[in-house]
Amino acid sequence: MASNISGNAYALTILSPIKDGFTQDEIAYSDIVRDRLQGWNTEQNSPMTLTPQTYLCRFFVLDDVYTESLPGASALDTIVDWLPFVPDWARRCALPAEDHLKSRYLVFSSNFYCGPSGSVDDYLRGMWNAIGDRVQDIWGYCYGFEAVNDADSFIAYMKKCQLTATLFFVGANDDPLEEQLKALYLKQEFAKFAVDNQGLSAAELKQNFQAFFERVQPANLSAPTWAAGKYRLD
Amino acid sequence: MTKQLDLLDIQGNVIRAYGRFGFPVARYVFLNITDDGIGRDFVGEITKKVTTSVEWGKKDDGEIARPKWTVNIAFTYQGMKELGIPRSSLVGFSPEFVSGMKERKDILGDDGVSSPEHWDPIWQGNRETRDKDVHIFVALNAQYGKDTDLLEESYQWLLGVVNQHKKGVVILGGHKGDDGTLMDYQDAKIVLDEHGMPTAKEHFGYTDGISDPVFEGVPYDADRINGRGKQMEDGSWAPLATGEFLLGHIDEAKEYPPAPAPILLSRNGTYMVYRKLHENVATFESYLDEHGKKYAGGKELLAAKFVGRWRDNGAPLTEAPDAASKAAFDAKYAAADDKGKDDLLSNFTYDDDMSGAKCPFSSHIRRINPRASLEMVSDPDKAGALKVSKNAFDTPGALSNRRRLLRRGLPYGQVKDRTKDDGNHGIIIMMVNADINRQFEFVQQQWINYGNDFRAGSDKEIILGNHSANEKFPSKAVLQVDPDSDEAPYILSKIPRFVETRGGDYFFIPSMTALRMIARGVIDPT
Repeated sequence: MASNISGNAYALTILSPIKDGFTQDEIAYSDIVRDRLQGWNTEQNSPMTLTPQTYLCRFFVLDDVYTESLPGASALDTIVDWLPFVPDWARRCALPAEDHLKSRYLVFSSNFYCGPSGSVDDYLRGMWNAIGDRVQDIWGYCYGFEAVNDADSFIAYMKKCQLTATLFFVGANDDPLEEQLKALYLKQEFAKFAVDNQGLSAAELKQNFQAFFERVQPANLSAPTWAAGKYRLD
Repeated sequence: MTKQLDLLDIQGNVIRAYGRFGFPVARYVFLNITDDGIGRDFVGEITKKVTTSVEWGKKDDGEIARPKWTVNIAFTYQGMKELGIPRSSLVGFSPEFVSGMKERKDILGDDGVSSPEHWDPIWQGNRETRDKDVHIFVALNAQYGKDTDLLEESYQWLLGVVNQHKKGVVILGGHKGDDGTLMDYQDAKIVLDEHGMPTAKEHFGYTDGISDPVFEGVPYDADRINGRGKQMEDGSWAPLATGEFLLGHIDEAKEYPPAPAPILLSRNGTYMVYRKLHENVATFESYLDEHGKKYAGGKELLAAKFVGRWRDNGAPLTEAPDAASKAAFDAKYAAADDKGKDDLLSNFTYDDDMSGAKCPFSSHIRRINPRASLEMVSDPDKAGALKVSKNAFDTPGALSNRRRLLRRGLPYGQVKDRTKDDGNHGIIIMMVNADINRQFEFVQQQWINYGNDFRAGSDKEIILGNHSANEKFPSKAVLQVDPDSDEAPYILSKIPRFVETRGGDYFFIPSMTALRMIARGVIDPT
């Protein structure tokens, strides 16, 4: 299986290091990034709903890696433990080092429809074109992002920050997002149709169904349809 | 059954649904403790009269005779605290018991007309100020007396004991009765038919409480296991593990349920959920009439579809899915003896009804006790059909055995006008389980107010669901049909709220040993 791809779905994982600095208000850059991301919660919907083909995505700021304890020692260490002449400071030095990140990271992961091409370029280009200003708002404090000023440089930057995903689960089927949103819309509308037309005669039912069919336009993916990012009936 | 429980140590209301044992009337009294020492004395005095689970016999044979009336007692978390249970014991109670029912309203779906601001005054006041807190629950159940009102006799006895301890315990009033009168107690009694004869029905006309779980160690339930215990792989039935319903015993996970220390405080005790549920009979009748006219199977079959049982005799839809099979069932039922009748009503599975064509997925009995029916997968050979997934779990009932509830309780009030919702009528339901969160709250949240486990999306259980009054998001439920047939499923649209919560809380029912220790103030976990 090709890396990052499962069928027509792509799993994009980005880790962008955030600069170790602070603003004039003495707030760390990484905290600003987190604050801006949290601000998205108070918007009507996530800006990412505007990015075409996004199945599901997630942002967070990674402060550090966490361990529950130091890694276990090897058999050799156990033998050393039995030797009475090894001083304590030597034992402590022999313990494996505790790992930490060198900086804090902006993590962005996204599952999207990539189609048969299996390329990430079109998706990132779509993201830049749709919400380029919001992207700059979030990534602006990351190392090297100052070189980004258009879709091409954004794609190049993101590829540098990309981690390979070898195994992932796609929570959506293989269709383009428009297909899935239309299918969801049709399912909801058909359920309503079934409730509203229960018990009618065959002739009435046929007539109403034709009207329903014309209204919902099953072949037309662009409209009427379920809006991306919409999560409840209205 | 090899395990024998210490029935003299277990309170009688845990093991017995008194209504079924000849105690058709009840009075529930709630008290506030104002002095902990006198409160403990009060508990000690009541404990002397508390009815245990012991098998009744003849006094002359050295056995314990059936009482004329029964007494049982339980406590809220605040009550345990007031009685001076040490902090190191209190921390062992479950978080939901500590929080109480009111605070759990979001989990329980007690919203809109069911939200606490609409509860009876006693429950509105509870857990707001110390003097209004419900601490003690005393349940009195009585037989019908020929000449004397035995329930009143038991109540007078209780008032006497309260009076002796009036400097330390106070009865809390504020139960809504007839015409909105506020009462000092909650009365409950079985519903009488038009001739004044007792019935096993609630106010919507359904027979209630048929399939109460049977668990290990109860001698008088030994021949009632089929359909009430847990389904085994070979199709046989076995009693559920005792620890699902009693603390200090091994449960279905082969573990002891979490319980407070010391073991003498919790063993043979359990948790009880008390809920007052108002029944909107007019709304129910008019909805049933409206859809009964449209539904091809007619009104009575539709009523049966709501619950999964026919209203007249409780015949399960899995065994009697239509008029013809119902007639055959009735003939068999009429000819059967008591044991046979009981078997006909409760000994069934959903194995031949995996697609819900007979008993709908959103009907009451399928939601409350799905038996082995959650072990379902899509049938690859038949579009829209579901089938049993063999060997998916250790036992067929693996997904439901840990969600069972003992149901105790009785209807309250009387329906005087079936065209009005606002009379005094409903059910006092008391559910007994070892883990309120895993059992009662799970069933309420996931199975009654949500339908995903039943592949029913967000459809709620038809009778008890907290159906939405919001025009924008009306509740619905689907009555499935046989995937092989040409019939269309029937959709129940805009389901109104048939049942509203009017109050309640979570209680701890201690064992007799624990009651005596609480009364003496010698609970000590160290």
